[in-house]
Amino acid sequence: MSSHLPILLFLVPFVMGVSMPILAAKRRSWCQHLTLGTFGLMLILSMVNLQVVLTEGPIEYAFGGWAVPVGIGWLDDPLAAIVILTLSFVSFISIIYGRVVVSSKLEKNVQYYTLILILVSGLVGVVFAADLFNVFVFLEVAALTGYALVGAAGGKSLVYALRYLLLGSFGATLYLLGLSHLYVATGTLNMADIALVLPGLMTSTAVAAGLIYIFLGLSIKMALIPLHSWLPDAYANAPSSVTPLLASTVTKVALLAWVRIEYSLITPGVEVSHVPVLVLLEEIGVFAALIGGALALIQTDIKRMFAYGGISHIGLILIGVSLGNATGFVGGMFYLINDAVMQAALFMIAGAVLHYYRASTLEQLRGVGRKSPWLTAALVVVAVAMVGLPPTGGFFGKWNIILGALEAQHYFAAFAVIASTLLTLGYFLRIFACWFHQPASVEFKPIEISKSMRISLGTICVSMIVLGLMSDSIFQFLLASVASGGA
Amino acid sequence: MVELLQTWLQRPNFIVFVILFLWGIYIMAAHPNLVKKLIGLYIVQTSVIFFLVAFSAKEGATVPIILSGTTSVNPLDYANPLPHVLTVTAIVVQIATLGVSLALVSAIHKRFGSLDEDEVMEQLG
Repeated sequence: MSSHLPILLFLVPFVMGVSMPILAAKRRSWCQHLTLGTFGLMLILSMVNLQVVLTEGPIEYAFGGWAVPVGIGWLDDPLAAIVILTLSFVSFISIIYGRVVVSSKLEKNVQYYTLILILVSGLVGVVFAADLFNVFVFLEVAALTGYALVGAAGGKSLVYALRYLLLGSFGATLYLLGLSHLYVATGTLNMADIALVLPGLMTSTAVAAGLIYIFLGLSIKMALIPLHSWLPDAYANAPSSVTPLLASTVTKVALLAWVRIEYSLITPGVEVSHVPVLVLLEEIGVFAALIGGALALIQTDIKRMFAYGGISHIGLILIGVSLGNATGFVGGMFYLINDAVMQAALFMIAGAVLHYYRASTLEQLRGVGRKSPWLTAALVVVAVAMVGLPPTGGFFGKWNIILGALEAQHYFAAFAVIASTLLTLGYFLRIFACWFHQPASVEFKPIEISKSMRISLGTICVSMIVLGLMSDSIFQFLLASVASGGA
Repeated sequence: MVELLQTWLQRPNFIVFVILFLWGIYIMAAHPNLVKKLIGLYIVQTSVIFFLVAFSAKEGATVPIILSGTTSVNPLDYANPLPHVLTVTAIVVQIATLGVSLALVSAIHKRFGSLDEDEVMEQLG
């Protein structure tokens, strides 16, 4: 039974998403509860899955009993298991949160919940897939539902959703082109198999071109600077109820897909025509982390500011995993999990402020802090985590990335992590300056923050601190899994 | 230079792929009309599918179905089915993308009364 956990984790949201139009056809108000129940079940299953993977070792799932590489394989290792747990947790919390801010048009819309469920099942597929083509299919499942969800707000968001679709599909096409290059060169699509064949083929231009296409395609999906232009507009205009889920998971999972490819195919010291690939990737990460932070600092719209903050963190994670040592890699992966939770929390706060006070720009935020202790407390916790102070998880992730950079003697990368931290501090100071400012002419009425909002904000803030407190054990098992060859 | 041209001309399929790919990108980037942008995207996706089919082509090979279990199998007689399977799946993904994108375009047309990107952006301000 426990060997079927990966496929169960995929099927639970998928089957529910497909059958939602039938189940909730007569009773539209059931949608929300059914979705919440599904994610609750997924949360329990993913905890069991993590437990099983940690005690009994990674699960290699072969579809239909066809052994890899003839069949399609899924790999459920500690990294995948903890990312799935994070994904289920964020989905569960964002549905609870969505009860408050969801617009009346979407609240009882069956299709809206179907899209959310299928989005999550697609993301689960990307995390587990050990096959390049499988990654492509699930990325597209997740991306297509993502486009539709961004456009679900109507009005402006439609245009930005179409722009996201044009860029995203182009990225997916580049990825397909890249994987077909690798298939031509190696004759297999299974990542572990390619990793066996590839070291002897690094001089081949087909392999180099294939890896470049795959990287470019996934860079669009993960919004790596300079291919990030779709993200701020799309997430600033998407429905507030679904932005926490989209912002925290879609780009991170695309990054995880790249990390798996990078980790198994590009070993430290690999050079393509005298260019050390990992160092190049690290420099791209440095560039993204610094430019993203600087762009966040100059925004006036809070959702756009948070979106750029997320873009800069993608760069940080890329630095961590490209350092070529286990410390940096584990730091990067731990930061990826933290970043998913932090992005969800940030967009929950931005959505709540928009919902209760109709405030979306820094100017409109003036004086909000005096009226809402719940939101203020949540913002302070997220700010501490984003800037990276103990005891939150953000600190331990960044600390390990810096340690890894020092270990690899890449002092510029270590400097970039610290500089991006300062930029993060800069834009949070801008927010706080407005948040606690004397109210301008308009006086806010104190508003009762509803119970669902309190639960979701409270849980997500506690989880950020729990991640920090448990960082040591998470590092231990990630390190053990890296040392044993899997990632 | 002549040698390079000669090696290129020996691979007409790949030249067609490159032309289609770049043409599609050009349409996506240059045309302000949203439907034409989608056509450009479609051409880019189709060019990659063409690439998949082109490299899997094999002369004198047949469908990879073994009729009797007794005769020994010579792999050279059969076409590789995997690129074709990838092609079919990629086409399905392409159609799904087209469906979502056309739905978005028709919603944009309903909301803004125009399919021209410049006019729509003007209304957005």
